[in-house]
Amino acid sequence: MAVCTGCSLLCDDIELEFEDGKISLTKNLCRKGEGRYRSLREDRLVPAVDGAKVGFDEAISRAAELLGDAENPLLFGWSNSSLEAQRIGIDLAKKLGATIDDTSSFCQGYLMEKVLRGEYPTCTLDEVRNFADVLIYWGSDPSSSQPRHMSRFSYFPRGEKRQRGYDEDRTAIAIDVRKSPTVVIAADGFFRIPPGGDAEFIEALLAALGGKIPKVKDKKMKKKILKLGSTLRKAEFGVVFPGLGLIYSLKDEIDKLTPLITRLNEVSSYKLIPMVGHYNMRGFNQTLLEETGHINRVSFKDGVEHGTQFAVTEAVNDCDALMVIGSDLISALPAAISKKLARIPTVAIDPHRNLTTDMARVTIPSAISGLEAGGSALRMDGVKVEFEPVIKSGYRSDVEILSRIMEAV
Amino acid sequence: MAKVEVTIVTYRDIFQEEAKEIGRYSDEYRDLSALILLDRGDMKLIKTEDGQTVQVETDGGMVVVTARLSEEDEEHPGLAFMPNSPWSNQLVSEDTGTSKIPEFKRIKAEVSATDKDVDTISELVERIRADY
Ligand code: SF4
Repeated sequence: MAVCTGCSLLCDDIELEFEDGKISLTKNLCRKGEGRYRSLREDRLVPAVDGAKVGFDEAISRAAELLGDAENPLLFGWSNSSLEAQRIGIDLAKKLGATIDDTSSFCQGYLMEKVLRGEYPTCTLDEVRNFADVLIYWGSDPSSSQPRHMSRFSYFPRGEKRQRGYDEDRTAIAIDVRKSPTVVIAADGFFRIPPGGDAEFIEALLAALGGKIPKVKDKKMKKKILKLGSTLRKAEFGVVFPGLGLIYSLKDEIDKLTPLITRLNEVSSYKLIPMVGHYNMRGFNQTLLEETGHINRVSFKDGVEHGTQFAVTEAVNDCDALMVIGSDLISALPAAISKKLARIPTVAIDPHRNLTTDMARVTIPSAISGLEAGGSALRMDGVKVEFEPVIKSGYRSDVEILSRIMEAV
Repeated sequence: MAKVEVTIVTYRDIFQEEAKEIGRYSDEYRDLSALILLDRGDMKLIKTEDGQTVQVETDGGMVVVTARLSEEDEEHPGLAFMPNSPWSNQLVSEDTGTSKIPEFKRIKAEVSATDKDVDTISELVERIRADY
């Protein structure tokens, strides 16, 4: 059985068949995971310096030079690396006196921090499968981003206390600005809100939970929210699955969610699991938190410093060397910020060619976790999942690459 | 040329996610990414049809993508959707406010019909590199 690292569900039930050392058949993968498996043969990166192919050792020594000579290096990525690689990455940042940040910095960070600090109650996905009866997908669309979430854990499966099937045993609520595939499954449980309307919806829900009339103009919606209030009160085990829709709407005002989580736990029992995308974002956040007291945006230049100035979107303004591992940062950020990134001498470590590797000075190809490299990672709910390589390849793991850079600087 | 003002919300799509895994440079990835889903009324306003190209412009940048008729049940004039991709990121402002998170899901833009072809990923890369 193999583990898929296509998303933060880390599905560990992937069956494989081989022919001549190659994977000939896969079972249980979703489309996204299927893409990751197919990518074994597509667009693999080659070691190169300034666009010219070089040997692996040469790429390592040039990378070490580029980072070692810098005053203000920034090490970014990490959510597609194993826990073991992340640890070495943090040590490398310490050794270089570098700034370190990960994708959570412009994604789930604000919420993940609340969960990791124990400020929001949480649970495992196995508990969701066994006990949860009310599921709130808020600005999240697992059907597209964590495709087996609803079938393996949250909605469709039967569990210890949920033996009668989803249509009787579970209620799915979807709060979104669009009719996503998850909304289609939730059907009557869909609440359409305008972009940025999340804070107002929180207010309306708080009113409904307190038996008050929510301040909503639309009469139908008002009734629907009141009914939702009573559904939420009757839950035995409710879970909120917040996605980027909610996070981007609230951002650093994520505290606006706190009164709702508190209230929900006064009327019943509610947990929250952030809908992380990349397979080991949570791993990085937890590891860095243990090491430094912060989940991201840390500088080791002068002891341990933390702040928004170390967010990748800011740090780009005064860093003089960049290392990106397992992330296509240039594709992921606004073009205006990417233009700045493109000017910084960059080392890119990735299994595949992408926009970031194309603009990098030094590229170092890496093995795909779960397929060509082993290790461990934290699933979106914090459960540790270990994986072994399932095929032989000449590609080096992030652990090996980072250790070599570490030795060389 | 008639223009319509919209707020663009980005989203993720499983087919596009699959294509992304396989490669940013594939035609498949472009076909599934360089899109904007518009309200029927907004399409009429700018005299465009499903499958034709449109120019989308913000203070942050400009991009040419394919217009698609949105499949929402309700009308949503002034609201448009784009898959999250380097195409949508051409439009996002660099202003990140106090959170330092870009406005990926609330992009104010103007959309108009155009004869231009959909931007290729290489063209986007060239534009990012232009100020080198
Ligand atoms: S749900 Fe995620 S981990 Fe599971 S098979 Fe799909 S991509 Fe892989």
